Amino acid sequence: MSAPEARRTQLPSEVRTTEDDRGPPEDRRPPFLLDFYPLEETAFTRLSRFYDRLKEGRLSTTRCRADGLLMWPPRVACPRCHGEEVDWVDLPMAGSLYAFSAVLAGAPLGMERDVPFSVGLVDLEGAPLRLFGRIVGKPWTELAIGERVEAEAFDVGDGRFFYRFRASTG
Amino acid sequence: MSELRDVAVVGGATVKFGVRAATWAELAQEAGAALFRAMPNLRAEDVDSLFVGAAEPERFAFQSHVAPLAAEQMGLKPWRILQRTELACASGQSAIRSAYAAIASGLSDLSVVVGVEKMNLPSMAEANTSMACVMDRAWDGAHGATAPPFFAMVAQRHMKEFGTSPDALVAVSEKNHRFANTNPHAQFHDKSFSAEKLRKLPMVAPPLRLGDCSSMTDGAASVVLCAAGRAREFTDRAAVVRGTGQYSEFHNLAHAGSLTDWTGMRLAAREAFRYADITPKQLDLAELHDCFSISEIVEYEALGLCPSGQGGRFVLDGRSDRGGEVVVNPRGGLLGCGHPLGATGVAQALEVFEQFTRKVPAARQVPDAEWALVHNLSGSANVHSIMIYQAAS
Repeated sequence: MSAPEARRTQLPSEVRTTEDDRGPPEDRRPPFLLDFYPLEETAFTRLSRFYDRLKEGRLSTTRCRADGLLMWPPRVACPRCHGEEVDWVDLPMAGSLYAFSAVLAGAPLGMERDVPFSVGLVDLEGAPLRLFGRIVGKPWTELAIGERVEAEAFDVGDGRFFYRFRASTG
Repeated sequence: MSELRDVAVVGGATVKFGVRAATWAELAQEAGAALFRAMPNLRAEDVDSLFVGAAEPERFAFQSHVAPLAAEQMGLKPWRILQRTELACASGQSAIRSAYAAIASGLSDLSVVVGVEKMNLPSMAEANTSMACVMDRAWDGAHGATAPPFFAMVAQRHMKEFGTSPDALVAVSEKNHRFANTNPHAQFHDKSFSAEKLRKLPMVAPPLRLGDCSSMTDGAASVVLCAAGRAREFTDRAAVVRGTGQYSEFHNLAHAGSLTDWTGMRLAAREAFRYADITPKQLDLAELHDCFSISEIVEYEALGLCPSGQGGRFVLDGRSDRGGEVVVNPRGGLLGCGHPLGATGVAQALEVFEQFTRKVPAARQVPDAEWALVHNLSGSANVHSIMIYQAAS
């Protein structure tokens, strides 16, 4: 917080929108080690079904076929019985805010333009899971503990998908 | 631990913490120079092992394989154990625990521990990207989770569940910044933060303001450990390790459980107190991991210094200040000294040694200190690491 004045840094969003001679959009993805979103394709992860389902608007995870443990995040092996056979199950999209705050300063690379943004822990309705995520739809000053939120999927800007929670504006 | 050798911290040194015009390697060189200046009886060729606490040199300094790099900067050629430990914010204490284990077991006779971190970069956003990687990056970091919003949620829940007031957060920050004014190596040595000023600082992650958050800091610190039997070669009085405990509770934020009752810290403390065979009431001073003001409040409770929910009251009543029952963070804490991740835990242990040997300025000297505890958490309070020291002549 006491760092020297931040030097202007090229943001991934700028890389995607600037018309210049840097080649087609697929070459303009930020270097993987400065990019938060995972490589979601089957060539890189055994959990690509999570992202495939997300594209269909479904939030899902894995359940251990042997001992029934509902996992978060989805996994390829059960942390309890160490079985490696898992089933994919849909999660409830609705939940309520257990706690929240907002990032008013000090955002990571590529998220500076989102400031201020809210984050929170969400108790899913009907599933014993508490997920962390962005809370959109309302400024942080209008959020409250216990508030109902709904999970939603979104395109991060280059065809990859991620999830967040939306508070109703009503 | 009866079959193990007693181990003592017998010296050490720190460099100036702050936004330093110096590289990672230069900080390590400064640490070496300061150490040999502080310990005239220490001979480089006698140091058989070097443990390097460093959290993210790959990110912040684009440098891997830092253990031999640090050895070269410090003029050391270890021949028993050379290793780097990474445990995010607890990397420094992790290095000390490794040195302790090596000496207690007889594998090492004389170990140097150095913690080094270079965090200030031209781009603050790049530095914050590195901090977000401490989280489960693909599932938590990708939402924009860095430490401030997590500890802000801890504060929010503590306020809701126990009625803790913003004044309690201010009291922690005011106390630790005031102690930092007595410490010339602290990042905020020259800055005064009154309660009134702290209340007006900008909000970073509500309800946490700038003064509730430790800084991005460059720094390095070292300590020397040896078998307690040969401590007199270096010092008349030493800090003998009497207990240690650690507990890893979770990593993904989905498994944090109660944000206000840090079970992992209770378990680590129970283990450390059992080894030391003392109770929390016997502590004269404690270096607690105040990465945020709220952390110190939750830590009073998890250590058993006060009942659950009473941490705010504990600091407001002055019970962790000079003249209180246990002086917490006389060095200035992470809030006042800054928090160079790998160096912090080492600098805390150095404070214990310097308190025991009466080398600190009178304004922060804890009179007749015999028992001290050092605590570090790492990440989003995922892991808790604790060491207990006793002064011995």
